[in-house]
Amino acid sequence: MASTLSGSFTDRLLSREEGSASRNFFLSALFWSILGMGAGLLGGIEFSNPDLVHNVAQLAFPHLRMFHVNAVAIGWLSMGYVGAIFHFVPSLCKNKLWSERLGNVTMWAWNLVMVGAFCLLLNGNTEGREYAELPAILDVMVMLALIMVAANVYMTVINRRVKKLYVTLWYFLGSLFWFPLVYIIGQRTFVSLPGLNDAIIGWFYGHNILGMWFTTVGVGMMYYLLPRLTGAPLYSHGLSMLGFWGIALFYAPTGTHHILQSPVPEWLKAIAIISSAFLLVPVLTVLTNFFMTMKGKWTMMVTDLPLRFAITSCMFYLVTCIQGPFQATRWINWYLHFTQWVVGHAHLALLGTFSFILTSAFYYSMPRLTGREWHSQGLIRAHYWLKFLGFLLMMTSLTIAGLVQSAGWAFGVPIDQWSLQIRPYWFFRAISGVMILLGQCIFAYNTYKTLYTPRMVPVEGAAKTKEVKV
Amino acid sequence: MYGYRLGAIGIVTTFFAIIFSTVLMPMVLFNPKPTDSRNTYATIAEADPARGRQIYVREGCFYCHTQFNRLQDRGYGPLVKAGDYVYEAPHQLGTARTGPDLTNEGGRFPSEWQKAHLVEPRAVKPGSIMPSFSYLNERDMNDLVSYIQSLGNGRKSNAFVEAPDEYRTTTETGRKFIALKTVDTNADASANAGRGIYQQNCASCHGLDGMGEGPNAISLEKKPPNLTRPFYKQYSDEFWFYRITEGVPGTRMPRWGDGGSLTDARGGILTHEQRWYLVAYLKTLQKDHEVTVDKLDQLDPIHQTKLPVLSHQEYEPSTGD
Repeated sequence: MASTLSGSFTDRLLSREEGSASRNFFLSALFWSILGMGAGLLGGIEFSNPDLVHNVAQLAFPHLRMFHVNAVAIGWLSMGYVGAIFHFVPSLCKNKLWSERLGNVTMWAWNLVMVGAFCLLLNGNTEGREYAELPAILDVMVMLALIMVAANVYMTVINRRVKKLYVTLWYFLGSLFWFPLVYIIGQRTFVSLPGLNDAIIGWFYGHNILGMWFTTVGVGMMYYLLPRLTGAPLYSHGLSMLGFWGIALFYAPTGTHHILQSPVPEWLKAIAIISSAFLLVPVLTVLTNFFMTMKGKWTMMVTDLPLRFAITSCMFYLVTCIQGPFQATRWINWYLHFTQWVVGHAHLALLGTFSFILTSAFYYSMPRLTGREWHSQGLIRAHYWLKFLGFLLMMTSLTIAGLVQSAGWAFGVPIDQWSLQIRPYWFFRAISGVMILLGQCIFAYNTYKTLYTPRMVPVEGAAKTKEVKV
Repeated sequence: MYGYRLGAIGIVTTFFAIIFSTVLMPMVLFNPKPTDSRNTYATIAEADPARGRQIYVREGCFYCHTQFNRLQDRGYGPLVKAGDYVYEAPHQLGTARTGPDLTNEGGRFPSEWQKAHLVEPRAVKPGSIMPSFSYLNERDMNDLVSYIQSLGNGRKSNAFVEAPDEYRTTTETGRKFIALKTVDTNADASANAGRGIYQQNCASCHGLDGMGEGPNAISLEKKPPNLTRPFYKQYSDEFWFYRITEGVPGTRMPRWGDGGSLTDARGGILTHEQRWYLVAYLKTLQKDHEVTVDKLDQLDPIHQTKLPVLSHQEYEPSTGD
């Protein structure tokens, strides 16, 4: 930190210090996560208390939801992912990031996108496409930022000092090839397609921002973190390749399962359903690999908190990916579609799985990037339990609410009757939001204390913190 | 290094193969032609529904309201076709139904009601969790309402639902069945005969006047319909007969033809003759004008909040929502 305070203005703003791009990305992600989750929480409370905010356009539920989705997806998860990529890739290639300065330029560009998203989305300046709400100028900026990240990472890998590419690098390199293309295709910024074609492309994008970015980078992070945190070697490199190719093959064509009951062509629905069902193969392969790697090491979860986050993430990944293929079949989709069950599933993937693995990467990387041990293990534990229990509560209430709604639609009960039955679940969902946001605030406070307060404890105290019990 | 090059080629090829099959192919092969039931965005002269659509997009209505009804949705009007969406960009199909489907929302409520509902949803729909959009200015509000009122206006059904084929002369069974009909369903005498059958078998739920307010109706989840609505004038004799014979699935309306067959006039809980008399009586129930609320100040908010009240206007299965 000391070196960033000296030097010219450019050096402070666009540091060339090793690890600074990764650290800055992580910190920005944390900042946007607070705003994004806050927006989600306020939106959730408005379900319980619809008259809470009156006459403020910026705080109306639809606007909050647009910002919530973009802030947690583009802000928190994606920025954190880039932070993790910038830290993991050099470490796997045994060299330095190709250009820390380019990394910091990307970081500022990405933050600018998020400031723009905050100002524009809350005022309703949207393109009206779910998950692709960002207006044209921001789309272009995200695209540029992604290309800068990809260039940086590809150059780092090309200049690597080890011959073998570990599977994490496969996932990262693949994602940085797929995602910019998916983003270009999916945004539909400068085109106006006929409605259903728009929907087909929209869901190609809507599902692949998950499948070709959040999943692939997230799974890559799991592959990195589990062996690093446990000290055990990866169970099987052969299985890891099978998982990689399975995801690469079966994830991309699944998008149309979001509009199974709309009048889009049946053959496209069939491709989507079959690919969705086949997704069980890579998912189970990947998880077998993880769980076999953990063999004999499960008790480490008790003391190693980043590992605890990572394992929780793997468990939720299992649940998400069992739910997913079944929801994509016609008969279950027939019953469950349009309901809060789906919202629960989306949170299971993005909050339960990928937010947890990102948090694990954050807790793992920050001491290595800054040379400072975490201020308080107790606060990390508080964060874990608030986030974990809060998420379980959210998942349970959304799932039950979804089942009530499903029954309502399936049996033709008028909506103004069943909507009264799900009010308790809206309430519990709001409570769960409070817990998760509180956890995230504790996380931010802990990070602040770690990085920005002078150290009281000498360095040898760092070893002791590992021994703290549950 | 050769292995990685092969891998890279594999990734690129796979990905473009997938983009070809699920992105490009639908763009080329799937080009629905505009149907008559598409939205033309022209309903209210003084407001602009096309601009209202932009307000709909801006306010993010599609996060809670879908715009495609499904085969299994009851009470949401005619089913959508692929060509209905040709001019819909960006698409507003929606993904979640926290609120009702809006495919055929146009004309379901008066514009005044829609406006009141946008300003203060709980005043006109108690228990609703829709956010208030009171911050919209007058022009935005009018345009949005005119857009809502335009939804599904092109989707007219020009054929009334008919009884299944075995009740009609298009099939052999149907011709035998019609040949067994001995009752003149338009005669007053038949209606008089049917009145007695109605009071013995039907009035306990459907009420003495057929308005669905019989004493048993209180205990029913699905309330009986108001048979005095002019809507029921469209029912053909065969459709009435079919409804009585086969009951209404999902409700407590029994199958009065149980134990009999169409080609044997004697079988069933009620015989063919009794059912035809009943048809003759039911056809006399419809009034010329239905009492509906079409002005905002006619609404009685206090009455609306008493949900379990037995009101023939609010609990008809056929109106859904």
